[in-house]
Amino acid sequence: MTLVPVTYKGGIYQHDIVTDLIEDLGGYVVQKHLIAQEVVLQCFVPKDDIELIREISRPLFGEVTDSPLVGTEIAVVSMSLEIHHLPHPSCDIAEYTRRLGAKSNMVSLARGPGKRIAGLNDEERDVINEHDIAVFALGNFETCIEYKMPALRRGIEVPIILCGGPDKEALQKIVDPPVDGYVGNVGRFMHRTKESEELGKLDEIIAEITRVLEKKREEIAKDSLSVAPARLMDLIREKVPAIHEVTSPTPLTVQMTGLRVKLPYDTFAQDIRKVDIEDGITIGDLSDVVPSRMRDYILVKIRPFSETNVVI
Amino acid sequence: MYAVEYFEVECPEAAGAAYYKQITNDVLLDHNLLKVIHKLHIFIDPKVPVFVATGILKKITSLIRVRDFANINPQEGKMTLVISDETYLAPMLKIFWQRFGKEHVEQPDRFTVILYGIGEEPKEIEEIVVADPSEFLFKDLIYAFRCIAPEGFRLRKEKFGDGKFSFVASENTLDENTDELIAAKFALMGETP
Repeated sequence: MTLVPVTYKGGIYQHDIVTDLIEDLGGYVVQKHLIAQEVVLQCFVPKDDIELIREISRPLFGEVTDSPLVGTEIAVVSMSLEIHHLPHPSCDIAEYTRRLGAKSNMVSLARGPGKRIAGLNDEERDVINEHDIAVFALGNFETCIEYKMPALRRGIEVPIILCGGPDKEALQKIVDPPVDGYVGNVGRFMHRTKESEELGKLDEIIAEITRVLEKKREEIAKDSLSVAPARLMDLIREKVPAIHEVTSPTPLTVQMTGLRVKLPYDTFAQDIRKVDIEDGITIGDLSDVVPSRMRDYILVKIRPFSETNVVI
Repeated sequence: MYAVEYFEVECPEAAGAAYYKQITNDVLLDHNLLKVIHKLHIFIDPKVPVFVATGILKKITSLIRVRDFANINPQEGKMTLVISDETYLAPMLKIFWQRFGKEHVEQPDRFTVILYGIGEEPKEIEEIVVADPSEFLFKDLIYAFRCIAPEGFRLRKEKFGDGKFSFVASENTLDENTDELIAAKFALMGETP
């Protein structure tokens, strides 16, 4: 059964029917937003059953759209927390990816700005590496990007998408070795992105992220995960009741190869390791439950089939 | 930047210059400073790196007086001031307290101030100077240029006064010949520093 990421939008009235249907079909609801009279579900559903969901939700005026970013956690790396880089463009990019289903986090660097003085510390590096992909929002000058990029990417293992003021060809020319994606003409600016041309640029960033994530998905598919991250999310929700007390918008953040659990590591790591998935196989058997560098959260990294010899 | 007579951004990278022209326009517009700038020349060299902004200001003559934002109604033994704009209310009250004493000044609500038993004529009260906007202008301009300049450029040298200003910033120690650079940029606008 192939699960595909989709977004369901519809009225709040009788939306339980859709939620139950998705669960009955073997799908998972990753995020649920209730906005006034509307409900937005970001979910994984079996590929063959999308039409069925469309049909059943038609009388409820529901709409099912593809959302390739659902179930991914994206780091938008901004060079600092100053007015120079926030809220535009970093927040605009983060917000746009969020609308399309991703969970985006802003990572602002302590010593990001400048040319010679730019750098990345170990905490920032580790936090970025905990994501599925990193979008670097850099400035307007080729000279500066060329000079500082080697320092900023040191130790980053996740795919990088580089956004900068120079055009795409110029960016490709100055970054060596190449990064995974480039979006040109999106450097530092101090106004909201609302013109159609600027929104087009944001769409371009999304297209680039989607392309790189698709490639990563293909890589993962070659040696599939022992268990789907969304399934672990459902299990933890069911078996670790403390997760319901967490007030974060996404207490359980689904990633492509794992899960971020927003509970303190020292208190709950053992409980999570012991959660039974099926036939006595626990989460601890199929994944590494490690402390996250982000606050005192827990990071569940699912091991591939080649390491565990089990796929559930 | 229609209101500015001369506005140029000079940079070895053409794309960078265009972006910084847009940034400068946005920031000055946001801070409501376009109307006070007459000429502006910005020079950025990311190779050095250095950021230079030089410019000429328009003449700002108006001092803010009580009559600009308040109507005075003289009555028997008291004077009622009806405030139309709260911006300068706090400095006005401070001046009244110093001049007449707190027991003679009362503020029953946000838009009313009553002065009791003071010897001065309404005309004199109307003419009291409450604020000088040019005092804050330089602070605002420095803040705006800090926003415009690339963020890493934290070593600054700024000179404001006499209707002219210059702002130099870099991430490295500034050269001794920054004055020459500033003079060259003023010359491009047909001015002297």
